[in-house]
Amino acid sequence: MSLFLRTEDLLPEGEAVPVAQAAWHGLFWLVVANAVGMMLAALLLFPAGNRILGEWTYGRWMMVHLNLELYGWTSMPLLGFLFKVYGADRGATVQWCRAVLWVWSAALGAGALSWLSGYSSGKLFLDWSGSMRIFFPGALFVLWLFLLIAFVANRNRKKKASLWATAARICGLVVLLAVPFTIYMASSPTIYPAVNPDSGGPTGASQLESSLAIVVILLVLPFGIARRKAGRSRAMAFSWIVLLAESVLCAALGRADVSHHRPSQYLSLGSLLVWMPLIPAYYSAFAWHANTRRWRLAFLWWWAALVVTGWILFLPGILDHFKFTDGLVGHSFVAMAGFTSSYLIFVVVQLLGEGGWIFNRARSFFFWHFGVIAYVVLMTAAGWFEGSDPAFTIIPGALRNLLYALRLFAGALMFLASLDWLADATELLRQPAEAPAAIPLEKTA
Amino acid sequence: MPRDKIRSSGWQGAALVAIVYVDFLIFAQFAFLKRLAALGVADTRLKVVMGAMAAGGVLLSLLAPRVGRWSSSRLRLRVGLAASAAAAFFSLASLSFAAALAVSFLIGAGLGLLTVTLVTHLKEWTGRWNPFFAAGAGTGVGYLVCNIPLLFDASPAAQSLTGGAFCLAGILVTLFPERALAGQGRSHAESRYTLAHALPAFTALVWLDSAAFFIVQNTPALKSATWQGSTHLWSNGLLHLAAALLSAWLLRRSGLLPVLAAAFFALGAACLLLLDPSRALLASILYPIGVSLYSVALVAYPSLLAAAKSHAERGRIAGWIYAVAGWAGSAMGIGMAQHLKHIPAAFVAAAGLVILIPQISSLLRRRAREVALTALVALAAFFLNRISAASHPPQPLAQVERGRQVYISEGCINCHSQYIRPHTADVPMWGPAATIEAVRREQPPLIGNRRQGPDLSEVGARRSALWLKAHFFDPPEMNAGSIMPSYGFLFRDHRGDDLVAYLRSLGAADVMKRADAEEFWQPEKSAIAHADAREGERLFQGHCTTCHDARGRTRLTWQSDFKRLPTDLAHGPYVYLLLPQPQDQLVVTVARVAKFGIPGTDMPGHEYLTDRQVASIALWLSQIIKQPGSKTGLQL
Repeated sequence: MSLFLRTEDLLPEGEAVPVAQAAWHGLFWLVVANAVGMMLAALLLFPAGNRILGEWTYGRWMMVHLNLELYGWTSMPLLGFLFKVYGADRGATVQWCRAVLWVWSAALGAGALSWLSGYSSGKLFLDWSGSMRIFFPGALFVLWLFLLIAFVANRNRKKKASLWATAARICGLVVLLAVPFTIYMASSPTIYPAVNPDSGGPTGASQLESSLAIVVILLVLPFGIARRKAGRSRAMAFSWIVLLAESVLCAALGRADVSHHRPSQYLSLGSLLVWMPLIPAYYSAFAWHANTRRWRLAFLWWWAALVVTGWILFLPGILDHFKFTDGLVGHSFVAMAGFTSSYLIFVVVQLLGEGGWIFNRARSFFFWHFGVIAYVVLMTAAGWFEGSDPAFTIIPGALRNLLYALRLFAGALMFLASLDWLADATELLRQPAEAPAAIPLEKTA
Repeated sequence: MPRDKIRSSGWQGAALVAIVYVDFLIFAQFAFLKRLAALGVADTRLKVVMGAMAAGGVLLSLLAPRVGRWSSSRLRLRVGLAASAAAAFFSLASLSFAAALAVSFLIGAGLGLLTVTLVTHLKEWTGRWNPFFAAGAGTGVGYLVCNIPLLFDASPAAQSLTGGAFCLAGILVTLFPERALAGQGRSHAESRYTLAHALPAFTALVWLDSAAFFIVQNTPALKSATWQGSTHLWSNGLLHLAAALLSAWLLRRSGLLPVLAAAFFALGAACLLLLDPSRALLASILYPIGVSLYSVALVAYPSLLAAAKSHAERGRIAGWIYAVAGWAGSAMGIGMAQHLKHIPAAFVAAAGLVILIPQISSLLRRRAREVALTALVALAAFFLNRISAASHPPQPLAQVERGRQVYISEGCINCHSQYIRPHTADVPMWGPAATIEAVRREQPPLIGNRRQGPDLSEVGARRSALWLKAHFFDPPEMNAGSIMPSYGFLFRDHRGDDLVAYLRSLGAADVMKRADAEEFWQPEKSAIAHADAREGERLFQGHCTTCHDARGRTRLTWQSDFKRLPTDLAHGPYVYLLLPQPQDQLVVTVARVAKFGIPGTDMPGHEYLTDRQVASIALWLSQIIKQPGSKTGLQL
């Protein structure tokens, strides 16, 4: 039994519409951000094209590209999850799901215009500035308020949920309330995280901290979208114990400006390797919709790749070679386009049930993954050359141009895949709601 | 081709649309105006002549449906084409003012009769062709033909002859029998967009189009960025064609609403972009797209989409569209452009409101909840920010701080780091390294995470203000192979100088520290041993001649701004070399200057050249530099 959801919540009924709407908004921003990304990749090959942009220069479009990927694509599909968990997709609140999505998307659109107009805080991925520094957190606060209302309404309307489920939802609300204020404060120029003095990047401790936050999401989320299989799972219990131990380790490391050459830093970060086998084992303790199989495998492979490459790239000598190069751009692709995207799609497919077909066309799946893998390989190669000679990128030669041209092709494949998903999501939203059907689960032990 | 094949085909419809557009665009809108200018018709007299054209157009647009009672549509088309051809040929004569007035009236009258008659009976000329496709293809080809460089850049006489010849060809086209279709087939979209909605929308679009066209035509800076050069013209023509075909597809699939909305967004954006000459190139892409999108609709709406029970009713709708939107809208647009010299953003917004009224009202009806909540949050954010700003009024910033804000606004952090990693190759190239405490004093630190360009944390110690400014204007000229975009637009106000002041402040205190480190640098011995004078000459041509050649572009552009005009290295004087020097010492000295520049001057370093490349340049220079007592320079 799921901790948060009842069996009837898992049925692929017409009420999956808010989830599909959230996925549509996320996909819309993915298509926009990917189109901008392709334009930027093309400008690195044909810099004369910058003339067309006038004052909306490359640097301003970079802010648009990065922030739309982060706050659009990798965030909005999870709103569907929250709608489901807090029961906002049922009853009177269902009418307001779209309005909440509109506010979020409007904040992103206004944010994009503000970045193009030259407003920025100067902090990467936290460029919110001026009115936008209030508008976007305001959209997050509206979401929180909406979830609170849905939570209260559902408690009055439905049979009493278990104490654990109620407590978990309340904890979730407390954490979510902190998010808008955190974004507002983190966008302030006066706040800056710990710096690794030998690289200028994050310390091992801060990377461990953010990775553990991802692990928490990975551990909590299945309870909201899937049923537990019968019997106890040792992997599940062990995972929570490991998380607790690593959290203690993280707290002990503190937040000082410490070099990656310190063994305590890279060895601590290496502790994340334990999650390579643990996450697959943990997820096997839940019953998943048959439509999720392809994406579940994909996200688990990307997770393994992310954990291993993340640690290797932090090691002394290797980070020194790759820092500030395309090599780390490739690694961020493993994280965002590989792992995060696969995971988000896996979650959305699980929530959509039969409607998950929109992500299961073979062509878009393979276009996306071929594009991401090619991108990562090409950028790693470019980063390798660049690490030895910065002029490799700064004053481009034939090899750099070849790698960048292939990178543009890889980006085009990913763009096409995202376009395919958006078209199918649009089609899904146009379809009339179908009668409930039995949920086909995988035949796994 | 067998005659029955011709009969069943529908190419005549597309051909007639294309012919009308060519005559209207290249002759009536273009060549005739130039012809009047050549005849000395200007100011008030020009307005009167153009008024006669508009009067003829409006009159025949409105009368054409009534004339239909007494004549066949084919005859009216032939008369319209003949009148247009005659006007084009008459315009070649040496016209008096009265004659110019008459020809102008004839142009308008011919086009009025022609356009209204053609769209009223378009379906009869499109045969098996999809009528939307015929309208799209005809419009697109018409614009493409007018943008062929040979015709676009031709003399007014040649353009008038072309317009007239096309009209005569149109008469030939009408000799092929048309294939009448049974009934008038209603489109699913026709009842949703009434004439009351369509007329203001088309008027607003023509108004915007005419104003933008007039401004570009009469502003040399904009014209050179949009309609000059064969590449521009061909790309404009192809954009027109592609947009016209897209418009036809959209009109058939989704009706008039999305096409007019898309046309407005493209055309409105182009009008706003034209406010800033640096964005004219982007405007030149959006303008033809917007124009072709609505131009196809201008044909398709009265002929295919408007709800009409008879030819007479369809003709009346077409007449009102062309009289009001076409002729009056165009006159208003030109008048606005003449008086204001630009298209105000408020006018674009008002036009958008007029065009998008049906969509906006539909959106408000269907999505009132979403719109209200979004507006509420947006307004709350706006007012909270205003309140916050009012309670903490911003302090005036020093120039360096303003420059830092420009650096942040432009997103420089996405390509440039500001962090020298200690004990790495960063230090000799861009160093020295700063302490973490110094980095933290910045709010926020601008460390960055990617280097598409060099690290800038010490750039003030490596580059002069003049070099930075010249580089912002033309990066590849100052740094061969650079992929950095030009930021010359920043110097239209104080932003450019602020940014230069900020960059000069970075590492300014470390000039001597860096100079000391450079003093002990010399190329690897193997690099000197493998230096190649011919490669050195090639590198010199690519990297150095812009300043060190008498005709160098940077030298000529900024000659009065240099602290000291760069030496023409072919002739000297070589004030920084302390000649004479032993030849091996001279190679090392020149290599050091090439690698790191000369502190305190405008001479930059070339940090990305390898030791061998730098040694090759130095070797070649040592061969051409004339040392005291030498007639031919050093020979190594």
